Amino acid sequence: MKKILLLLIATSFAAPGISLAQRQNNKARPALRKAAPATASRSSNTRVATLKNQLSDALRMAQSGQYDSAANNLFSLSRRPELANERPQVKYILGTMLIELKLYQTAAFQFVDVIRSNHPKYAKLAIEKLSVVADALGDDTILNYAISRVDLNDFPANLKDMIHYRLGEIKLRNRDFSGAAALFSRVSFGSSTYYQALFNKGLAELEANQTSLAVGTFNKMLDARRRAPVTDTNKVAAQMGLARALYQKQDWEAAIEAYAQVPRDTLMWHDAVFESSWAMLRAARFRSALSNFQTLHSAYYEDFYMPESLLLRSIVYLYICKYDEMEKVLSLFEKTYGPVRRKIGDFLKSTNEAGAYYTEVERAHVLKTTDRNANLRLPYIVVRNILDQGDVKRAMTYIEKLNNEKNRIESNSAFRSSPLGQYAMKIISNRSRNAKFAVGDMAKAHLQNMRVELRDLYEQAGFIRYEMITGRKDSIKKKIAGKDIATEQIDDKIDRQFYIQNGYEYYPFQGEFWLDEVGNYHYLGKQSCE
Amino acid sequence: MLKNGFIAVAIIVSALLLHKAAFAAEVVELPKEELAQESVLPVFDKPVSVKNRNVTTAGRWDMDVFYGYAMTEPIANVSKFGIGIYYNTSENHAFGLFFANNASGLSDYARQIERTPATPLDLSKAPMPKNTIMGDYNLKAFYGKMSVTKSLVLNTVLFGSGSVGVVQYEHKTYPAVAIGLGQKFYFNRNWAMRFDMRLYANQGPVPFLAGSKMHNGTARPSYSEFSERVLFSTNLDIGLSYLF
Repeated sequence: MKKILLLLIATSFAAPGISLAQRQNNKARPALRKAAPATASRSSNTRVATLKNQLSDALRMAQSGQYDSAANNLFSLSRRPELANERPQVKYILGTMLIELKLYQTAAFQFVDVIRSNHPKYAKLAIEKLSVVADALGDDTILNYAISRVDLNDFPANLKDMIHYRLGEIKLRNRDFSGAAALFSRVSFGSSTYYQALFNKGLAELEANQTSLAVGTFNKMLDARRRAPVTDTNKVAAQMGLARALYQKQDWEAAIEAYAQVPRDTLMWHDAVFESSWAMLRAARFRSALSNFQTLHSAYYEDFYMPESLLLRSIVYLYICKYDEMEKVLSLFEKTYGPVRRKIGDFLKSTNEAGAYYTEVERAHVLKTTDRNANLRLPYIVVRNILDQGDVKRAMTYIEKLNNEKNRIESNSAFRSSPLGQYAMKIISNRSRNAKFAVGDMAKAHLQNMRVELRDLYEQAGFIRYEMITGRKDSIKKKIAGKDIATEQIDDKIDRQFYIQNGYEYYPFQGEFWLDEVGNYHYLGKQSCE
Repeated sequence: MLKNGFIAVAIIVSALLLHKAAFAAEVVELPKEELAQESVLPVFDKPVSVKNRNVTTAGRWDMDVFYGYAMTEPIANVSKFGIGIYYNTSENHAFGLFFANNASGLSDYARQIERTPATPLDLSKAPMPKNTIMGDYNLKAFYGKMSVTKSLVLNTVLFGSGSVGVVQYEHKTYPAVAIGLGQKFYFNRNWAMRFDMRLYANQGPVPFLAGSKMHNGTARPSYSEFSERVLFSTNLDIGLSYLF
């Protein structure tokens, strides 16, 4: 990296050197014509010579690894009006120095300035660098700015994969699914974004309802990650993608099988359990679905926002005519999500500022990641759910990177008090504030969606309750007629020894939840329909 | 509203069509692929091993009655009966006090020695322990559960204990310390069976005297004639505990 940097600096300074000499000659010529202001010409020559010396000094510092001193000198030179023509070069080199100092956000601003200057040589180079820096920061705004100015033909081959991937992301966001899939396909094997591109390709195919293609894509991804560890993120994401594709293809049994392959010790497992319950319902495997609900509605999930799972459970109970259980679940739904719905509504009504929404998200983040307490105006399950949304997660990561950059500057007091340090702090502070407002806006949008979702689910709960009452009425009629079915369990006739001999434990459930049991609960009740 | 209504109606109609077929297809035995295949634990933000415990002890008192068996006591009666009271400051710590009264007489082993014709000893001349009173600290290290039958599960608490107190002999009271390991088996949320294994160390009289002073028919020696040293004994206590 250092060698590349030195080469870059050396080649970059060849041009300023010539340029300065040309300026010197250009200035010298009129001086010859107008012999009179000889003093002024001498003064100009001295200034230019001084600037040349300063540039040389900065170069030497960079060569010797004194990036902060070099960057400071380049920063002051970039502001000199005498060097207006050389500014893109100086800023470009300043940007590369800042990358070395891991001050990516400050570097990004230098590259944006260079791109705006439309310098024939450095603007293109700056787009490349800006793409790399924005990719490292995960900042969509800068990334979109860089990519909007990209001409793929001008890009070095090693960066094309990243650009294809990012362009694919933009197309996916704009719901151009075939375009997105085509761009993701162009990301080559071996690229750092290859697996993400493959996953997003599958996602784009699913969005375009090309389920067979998506199944093929996720299988390809799984095959490529065959030797990776069991909990490898890409491998698990591919497995999850495959299960979802099979579900969308309405191949319920295959989807259940694919969901079951998602490893338990990964974060995606929780989603897999819930989604496989839908597949089980569709495959008419009600007992299996109810086993999953025992896990999903355990005390371990009290911080999870899953209103739909409660309604799904009540529907399964309706299928098997367990009206008392259904009543309990519907009551639990109303007891849990009634206050949630009210609080979301109140918060949305009383709060407009993005900053207030961000504060809630930030407090929930503290609660989630530390043992500290924080007072929330919204229920924790709501804000925790918002924190888990992809856009919020990504923006929070960006804010964290800005904080790291800020800490890096503050840890070097000499650099912190330099003009470049102060400038960098100002940039970071502004970006951080704007990013927080953006997170606030995202949170507000998610809250609005949740409010709508809860309203719809409440309506569905009303319909389900109506069916429950009808079913219960019929059940009572049958009971009176002596046609009711006695309560029993599916394993009533199986001895406990059966489980022990097969290497399994048998624990009657008494309301206590154990971490090692989560995912291993089995509903043993039988259906109560005639 | 109308859309949701259609969704709900569709679900309910399919429910009515499916429910018979669904349970007709249901196997009585649990499908093997649904039984536990993995030994790893799910990932949560702040993982804890148990939630919604059946037996919660924090801020509660518990009271014990127990029978103690001195496993390594050679001379004195090995049985004692006691009572203890504990306050649980949290799910991890409890502080309490227990009192045990030793049964009088000699151990079976001492009686066997006395019956041996070659050793005409009267070991009852030695000073015997009468009572023990100790302050006890319990560190509740593990809360667990144990499946006993198809319909019975016991909660368990494994704890370490450390005690400081006194052992009262017939003539004198000596300081004592004990460390141990215990286990409680809860039958329900209040009642438990408590087992304590403790190693006691206390200053006490050596129950032997040189010469014929301990022989049958001789005068009872004065307690001051018995030398003193640190005595070690291992005790197993078995008792019932009630959590208030």
